[in-house]
Amino acid sequence: MSGPPHITIAESKHRSGDPEMIMETVNAFIIGFIVLNVIIGMVTYVTLLERKFAARMQSRIGPYRVGPHGLLQPIADALKLMMKEDVVPRAADRSVYNLAPIVFLVPCMLIFATLPFAPGLGIADLNIGILFFLAVSAMEIVGLFMGGWGSNNKYALLSAMRAVNQIISYDLPFIFVALVPVLLAGSLKLSDIAEAQAGLWYAAWFPLGTIAFLFYILATLAAENRVPFDILEAESELIAGFRVEYSGMKFALIQLGEYAHMIATSYLGALLFLGAWAGPGSDGSPWVGALWFTLKAMFVFLVVTWIRWSFVRIRADQILAISWKFLMPAALLLLMATAVVVALQGAPGG
Amino acid sequence: MDPEARKVIELGYGGGERLTMNMGPQHPSAHGVFRAILTLEGETVMAVDAVIGYLHRCHEKLGESLTYTQYPSIASKTDYVAAMTSELAYVRAAEMVGKVEVPRRAQYLRVIVAELQRIASHCLWLGTWCLDMGGALGGGATVFLYCIREREWVLDLFEALVGARLLYGFHQVGGTRYDVPAGWAQKCRETITLIEKRLDEYEDMLERNAFFQARTQGVGTISRELAQSVGISGPLIRGSGVSYDIRRLEPYSSYEDFDFKVPVETAGDCYARYRVRMVEFRESINIVRQALDGLPEGPVSSRPGVKSVGQVRIAKGEGYARVEGARGEVGCYLVSDGSAKPYRMKWRGASFSNLSVLPHILIGCRVADVVAIMGSVDPVFGEVDR
Amino acid sequence: MAKRLGENFWGDFFRLCVAVPRAMKVTLINLFRRPVTVHYPDKTRNYPDRYRGLLALTYDKETGEENCIGCRLCEYICPPQVIKVEMLKAEKRNFAKVFTLELYACEFCELCVQVCPTDAIIMMKSFDMSTADRRELLLDKDRLHQIGLQFEPSWATGNLLRDMQTPPKAPKAEAAEPAARPAAAGPAPKAGGAAE
Repeated sequence: MSGPPHITIAESKHRSGDPEMIMETVNAFIIGFIVLNVIIGMVTYVTLLERKFAARMQSRIGPYRVGPHGLLQPIADALKLMMKEDVVPRAADRSVYNLAPIVFLVPCMLIFATLPFAPGLGIADLNIGILFFLAVSAMEIVGLFMGGWGSNNKYALLSAMRAVNQIISYDLPFIFVALVPVLLAGSLKLSDIAEAQAGLWYAAWFPLGTIAFLFYILATLAAENRVPFDILEAESELIAGFRVEYSGMKFALIQLGEYAHMIATSYLGALLFLGAWAGPGSDGSPWVGALWFTLKAMFVFLVVTWIRWSFVRIRADQILAISWKFLMPAALLLLMATAVVVALQGAPGG
Repeated sequence: MDPEARKVIELGYGGGERLTMNMGPQHPSAHGVFRAILTLEGETVMAVDAVIGYLHRCHEKLGESLTYTQYPSIASKTDYVAAMTSELAYVRAAEMVGKVEVPRRAQYLRVIVAELQRIASHCLWLGTWCLDMGGALGGGATVFLYCIREREWVLDLFEALVGARLLYGFHQVGGTRYDVPAGWAQKCRETITLIEKRLDEYEDMLERNAFFQARTQGVGTISRELAQSVGISGPLIRGSGVSYDIRRLEPYSSYEDFDFKVPVETAGDCYARYRVRMVEFRESINIVRQALDGLPEGPVSSRPGVKSVGQVRIAKGEGYARVEGARGEVGCYLVSDGSAKPYRMKWRGASFSNLSVLPHILIGCRVADVVAIMGSVDPVFGEVDR
Repeated sequence: MAKRLGENFWGDFFRLCVAVPRAMKVTLINLFRRPVTVHYPDKTRNYPDRYRGLLALTYDKETGEENCIGCRLCEYICPPQVIKVEMLKAEKRNFAKVFTLELYACEFCELCVQVCPTDAIIMMKSFDMSTADRRELLLDKDRLHQIGLQFEPSWATGNLLRDMQTPPKAPKAEAAEPAARPAAAGPAPKAGGAAE
């Protein structure tokens, strides 16, 4: 096969010490490094996209002065955060406090490894891809709670406890909804799911696919702590939630992790429901396919952003009520209905 | 009040014990400088201890040291969000004690600016309330920026009339200091028509929105008996079923000439107060239209223009004048000894009396509700601390 | 008017499904409206005629002399007492020897403009005077005159304001010259005394 190494768990046949394996490992590191940097670059510019988009919805212009039309703003922000003094509260639990941003960031970056950006263009297209994605992305909760606990701050602790509550409650419906395309495609491998949508995108498969897509957006909002489900940060009550005691580079790492997770779930949404890299011209070159994939992911991201900037927040107990009393049963029903339809009619598309 | 409620206990972070949390004075939702020491059990507020006085600026002493010509510009700084009604309370008190006539045109102008000020103040209220509830990075900020955008148009009107946007010095004893410039009435009509259309947009965004309703219905209920016994006024008491509006009960400044509804809701929760204020928006627009249509010709003041600091002397006497401000009853009690300065001046701040209802409604609600309730009470700490 | 929540689950759910796109539609409409931002300081907005900006002292238009006669009326009426004046006596008229105005404490209430008998102190249609050092905002007489020449003046002067506020003389006192004076622009009467 050409292109970057396509390692799957089941296929690695090399023994350790084998020069080919070392070559492949080095290759994998380089590719991973490049992808990581690309992701970080994209994350910083996505913040600018969100700010400009939100600003236009509010009758104002977003960042404008730094660079032409604010294009250098994310770089200015990054430089500022790097130069800031790292203030650590005296009473903070040092080891937990310092480790929390890393424990938060690493799962958010790791899930990008499983995403196939185009046929053949991916780091590790595991054949349990989606399982790995969902499992690892849920590990950020640990980092989040470590941040809230280690800060030794009542506001941070309150927010961290609320966040754990919320994310756990919403990860379950998230998983159920993400399982709908898995059922339809018949495989846990992400590139299989993408290719199975060649005939019809799952979001367009009315009614169950569309409902699944809408529930996915809802669950994304909640799993990402976006308004209307952002009791985690609840700016006006808890200032910045579990992040309140972090400054400088650690804060930057947490922001990075948050937005990286956001983009990763947008990519996943585009893959599961919007046909990933399908689009005119994507058959020829994988790079065009990757471009289409990115555009679709940005579309999912913008829809989530649009919702975020239109609604007020709801209370913590109401958020949990929505999850357990509405979303979870609905997602389960959806899954069962999909299973029945697939058993009777067969999956839509090729 | 229950002495148990004032006891503040901190025993640790274990379950079932109570946590003391300080909300303010530096807090994005404190609506000013307000310190509420909340005792929480889990997320429920068990006790609240309110501390005010962070914005005390000795207004009442200033009232004794400054003359009747100087103080109206300072009076706007008590309720700085609704400055016109604050000034109006003071000059009405001086006019009442000194038995000074106010010409009809000045009365109509006072009504126009007071109602425009009510519109601007309610815009700010809606914006900051949604900002508190929705987050500075979220839908709250969107509603906030829309409301501020509309408020800026009203402030542009004031700027064309007076020259200042927030703190005016528009009133003086005997009338007003400024007359309307050419073209202002037309601009005013256009602005309020535009604001009326935008109100429909806000209602679309908020009213039929289940998120907003879930956040505000059933929260912070003030029963009718509580409302009547505690001394609140304005939209708070009208949201609890009591029809108390000073513009209707004791019409001043020719309010009896205008035809407007006084909105009353019976539910008593945050949503009811929201509805009251939204109807007040529209009624204010109505009143401004009527006043502009019927604006009589004539002088804007019954006294010659101020030429020296001690020009206005008020006869000996005392009296209390009150106006229906955006937040409730704003009153000024004036004791005069016949000289150019009052002997004693006391402000009744609407927000100060409104805050007295907080210990009754905050107990038993959750932290998130505290924010929603504070917003619907809409305090302005210039009035509270003076 | 919206019904209350909690009455009927399916009714609530339906209304939520309708309400969510409605709110999003408002945001979408605003996405395509022009932003209201004014790119200050590259562009400024139009300030109205009566704008109360910086304070300044003026010169007489015909003779070029300073208008200020050092009468100190502005000093007495200023509520935060930011003006300090010392009079300089001369043969035909008085001047101000020293005139300082502490702009950092000024309230911009326009009362000093109101009382000035010679329209000497006025306000400008601009507020562009941000500094890094507060001492630059302690304006002395020369700086005040310089501001008066640098910016565009507002409409309000002492006499115009007082004319606007003063009620016209009663008709029977004008019986001798009924048509000569328009009603609202009558000359200011003598300073009013006690009000009873």
